[in-house]
Amino acid sequence: MVVTVMTVCLRRLAHNRVELVLAFVVPIAFFSIFAVIFGSGVGTGLTPNIKVVGVDTVGDEQSRQILRVLRETPGLSFVDTAESDDQTEPEKGSTPRQKGSTPRPTPAPDETEKDLRAVEVQSASTSGNALTEQGDSRKADKQAGTSRRQAMELVRRGTATLAIVLRRQDDGMLMADLLSDSSDQVAPQVVSALVQQVLAGIPETSYRVPPRYAKTVSGPIGMPERGMSEPELPGTPSDAAGPPLPLKRVEIVDLLGKGKSNPVVTMYAAGIAVMFLLFGATSGGGTLLEERDNQMLDRLLTTGLSMDQLLIGKWAYLTILGICQTTLMFAWGQLVFGVDLLGHFDGFLIITVVTAGAAAAFGLLLATLCRTRGQLNGLSVVVVLSMSALGGSMVPRYLMSPGLREAGLWTFNAWALEGYDKVFWRELPVSELWPQMSVLMVCGAVFLVTARGLAIRWETD
Amino acid sequence: METDKFAPPSRPLRVESLRKSYRRVEAIRDVSFGLAAGERLALLGPNGAGKTTLIRCIAGRTKPDAGTIELLGKRLPPSGERDRLGWVPQDIAIYSDLTTRENLTAFARFHGLRGAELNDRVGWALRWTGLEDRSEQLVGGFSGGMKRRVNLACGVMHAPHVLLLDEPTVGVDPQSRQRIFEMLDQLRDSGTSILLTTHHLDEAEQCCDRIVIIDHGQLIADGTLEQLIARTIGPSRHVRLRIDRPLDRPLAPWQDGPLHGSLGVQNPPGGQDCLQTRVDDVAGQLPGLLETVRTAGYGVLNVEVHAPSLHDVFLHLTGQELRD
Repeated sequence: MVVTVMTVCLRRLAHNRVELVLAFVVPIAFFSIFAVIFGSGVGTGLTPNIKVVGVDTVGDEQSRQILRVLRETPGLSFVDTAESDDQTEPEKGSTPRQKGSTPRPTPAPDETEKDLRAVEVQSASTSGNALTEQGDSRKADKQAGTSRRQAMELVRRGTATLAIVLRRQDDGMLMADLLSDSSDQVAPQVVSALVQQVLAGIPETSYRVPPRYAKTVSGPIGMPERGMSEPELPGTPSDAAGPPLPLKRVEIVDLLGKGKSNPVVTMYAAGIAVMFLLFGATSGGGTLLEERDNQMLDRLLTTGLSMDQLLIGKWAYLTILGICQTTLMFAWGQLVFGVDLLGHFDGFLIITVVTAGAAAAFGLLLATLCRTRGQLNGLSVVVVLSMSALGGSMVPRYLMSPGLREAGLWTFNAWALEGYDKVFWRELPVSELWPQMSVLMVCGAVFLVTARGLAIRWETD
Repeated sequence: METDKFAPPSRPLRVESLRKSYRRVEAIRDVSFGLAAGERLALLGPNGAGKTTLIRCIAGRTKPDAGTIELLGKRLPPSGERDRLGWVPQDIAIYSDLTTRENLTAFARFHGLRGAELNDRVGWALRWTGLEDRSEQLVGGFSGGMKRRVNLACGVMHAPHVLLLDEPTVGVDPQSRQRIFEMLDQLRDSGTSILLTTHHLDEAEQCCDRIVIIDHGQLIADGTLEQLIARTIGPSRHVRLRIDRPLDRPLAPWQDGPLHGSLGVQNPPGGQDCLQTRVDDVAGQLPGLLETVRTAGYGVLNVEVHAPSLHDVFLHLTGQELRD
């Protein structure tokens, strides 16, 4: 009897192609996807290049040398601020917001910053190819005005993962402030180690404490007020005039996580929400196939209902359901985990509406691609999980190689997550959401129109 | 076969020279018939004969290759413009996770009803189906018969002039079947013309005014039961005799006046104790038959006389072969 039961199960499996695919092909497909993600990023010792922007507020030979060496360090990719000037230059009403959603007025550049010289901001290819000397100098000239504030803006907008700001403290200590986006939990540690390495290799002998600092260097060096501080690096005291300055210090400043009650949850809430929007939409789209199987679709189409109305009705329902689900999830996040939903509700609502709309259209598209519910189940598992993996719902995209990050942009998960990231993490105003909104709306429209085209075959035999 | 090609203006549905092929298979071949006002027409045929394709063409779910379909005198396009037509599919195509009232309301809305008209119609449908006391219960928990009634009601919420029913009583018990036909009687009384397919020949025989039989996509019979019997097997009765012992030799041919040569006792193979024949005049011919058997030395234990039925006509026209 037991053998008969086993035989029947095996024969049923052999007759069901979808189950066969789910049983044997899907695990291999997923293994391959994750192998590509992790194989070219984390776990290989080959950390993906980190996009940084360098700001030299000191402007002496030592600081220039530090940035020069950093620029040639493998693993760092310097952002070309000349190309992102339009992004860094704050527009009226488009500055980052404080919690509470009121746009923060653009502060006038203060006089101190005007004096700061930002010399070393330069793009470098991932292979570390140096620009020509001429081009180098041209870029340096263009970027001479880059300030700490502009660097902060670049990090806040996600153009750069991290800003390396070299400054001299009142006590004469050379500080390397790493203005970081702590949503990337790897980059600050990696850059910190690289900067330390470079600082350790720069001789101290060339620098002496200016007389105005002489009084301040005698006391012990305290820990930074916030952020993480690296141990002091040994330096070689100089025997030249004035007391030598043996100390250089690296400090990681969390630019975006500061003040957020539970920043990590905010990041993951969006990832989970988008993945479940997709699963919910494909499941909802599957009702079309059920209705086709039990003649409900035939019956509905003999009434006054047209296929256009049917699809739009289902799309609207799935969209509203998705909005409610996501809102409920974030509301729960606010109640239990401290996600600041109410403080960002306008941006949340906008990005949730377009994401839910695109997900609903995608669910209908998958349903109209399939013939049976079984096919849809198999296809949706493969597609949704792949999109979620590539798009950053499962694995943060900063862990992926540049190639995979680009591939991820073909999934709308990535765009939706970027939208939520802008709203909750970077606290950018609603007007900054237009790229994500545009992509998601276009995706939704294309999916819906394609689904309608595929559904033509169901209209009449 | 004689087909009524003439469809008077009072016929709300008229099908003319309809054809439909699926690749090399001709599912419908030049089918023509009409449906009179208030008439109940049974569309019969073996499995795969083309009944469902024909119904789907009329309902606008299948696009015919050629031919015309007229509804209330207006030629129909391949799909759409069927407001006065109702279609109840063979499957129970209702929302099992909605209540009876919600299902009826939804389909009434799909058919364009709104406001007071919608409420009136839903109330009528609940009374018509006998499900007023179950109006707020989910349909998923209903018996097969109750689901069939809701299924039927959802197809007539817009009070169609012509109703297409694809096997409306499949899988239900005799009581539910009886109830469904009572419901159809009420529709017919209100002037609705009904075209139904069924494999229950007794249903077609007892509850339908006219019968159309199609086979291999062709219409092979169209008329009342009496007309079909007259055109096919004739009005003779089927007589079956049971004798007291198995035959040990063939009986002499039975000859009786006007039936001479036309019918005779069908001698069963040796060893069997049943004899069958057909008689046109039971009272006049049966005594002679019994006498023939008795003269041959056999006693008659039982006599069964059957009037010709639709079953006989159907098998006569479509043969005994299995259609799989």
